[in-house]
Amino acid sequence: MTDESGEGTVATTEPHVERAIERAEEHLPAEMTAAPPGLLPGELRPHPTPVQYVLVAVVLVVITALEIATSYTEGTIPDGLIVVLLLGMAFVKFFLVAAWYMHLRTDAPVFRRFFILGSIAAIALYLVVLATLHGIQSG
Amino acid sequence: VFNIPFTSVTSFILLMSSLTMVLALAAIQRGELRRFRIWIMATALFGATFIGGQIFEFTEFTREGLNLHTSTFGSSFYVLTGLHGAHVTVGIVWLISLWGLAMQGRMTQADSERVEIAGLYWHFVDVVWIVIFTVIYLIPK
Repeated sequence: MTDESGEGTVATTEPHVERAIERAEEHLPAEMTAAPPGLLPGELRPHPTPVQYVLVAVVLVVITALEIATSYTEGTIPDGLIVVLLLGMAFVKFFLVAAWYMHLRTDAPVFRRFFILGSIAAIALYLVVLATLHGIQSG
Repeated sequence: VFNIPFTSVTSFILLMSSLTMVLALAAIQRGELRRFRIWIMATALFGATFIGGQIFEFTEFTREGLNLHTSTFGSSFYVLTGLHGAHVTVGIVWLISLWGLAMQGRMTQADSERVEIAGLYWHFVDVVWIVIFTVIYLIPK
């Protein structure tokens, strides 16, 4: 409902209108309705605390140290195993930053879905480029 | 050609800039504006240190004969890491502009969503580097 100038909304106290709005809101997805107190729209749970952020950073540092140590084992363990270990550790770091620092674990699932879709598209593009470069080098 | 210890240090610095970024966000969400200014500037400085390291690395590689036209590897390396570096530079400018607004008193607790958006950009640049560091530098050739 708009006022006479056509700008802005006018609050209504009509009971049947309010009941209709309440019924409509019941059918909306949770992430589209108003956020709970203290949260922004799109957030399902509160963000981590600074202490949790620091703990995640400690885990990231430890994994990075393990990655670098693993890269120095070249020649002592099979290259295939090194590649699997390094990609696994990179995935864990990627997951930790995306889930905890980018808040994908506490935000509405729609953001997570967009992120995963984009990541899959980026990996597919990378593999195509890699295959193309490999083809150029062997040709 | 790679100097793994050197690149590990710059990678560590970029990783820690993600920590200072979330601490900046937590600070502004709690209305602690002085802490916000410190953490956001620390993030920008960490980013600038990373870029400084990348410029040093590029200079060394060029001196050793690896440039954009040397080989497919040279082209891939400079395009991939160079584009990443360009995005880090854009992020640094973004963070410094937020710091500048905060210094002028134009950033309040109500503006925390602007910091969160800048933070998402910054963390994404960080996760891309996590992949680049592993694939380009650490995986055996």
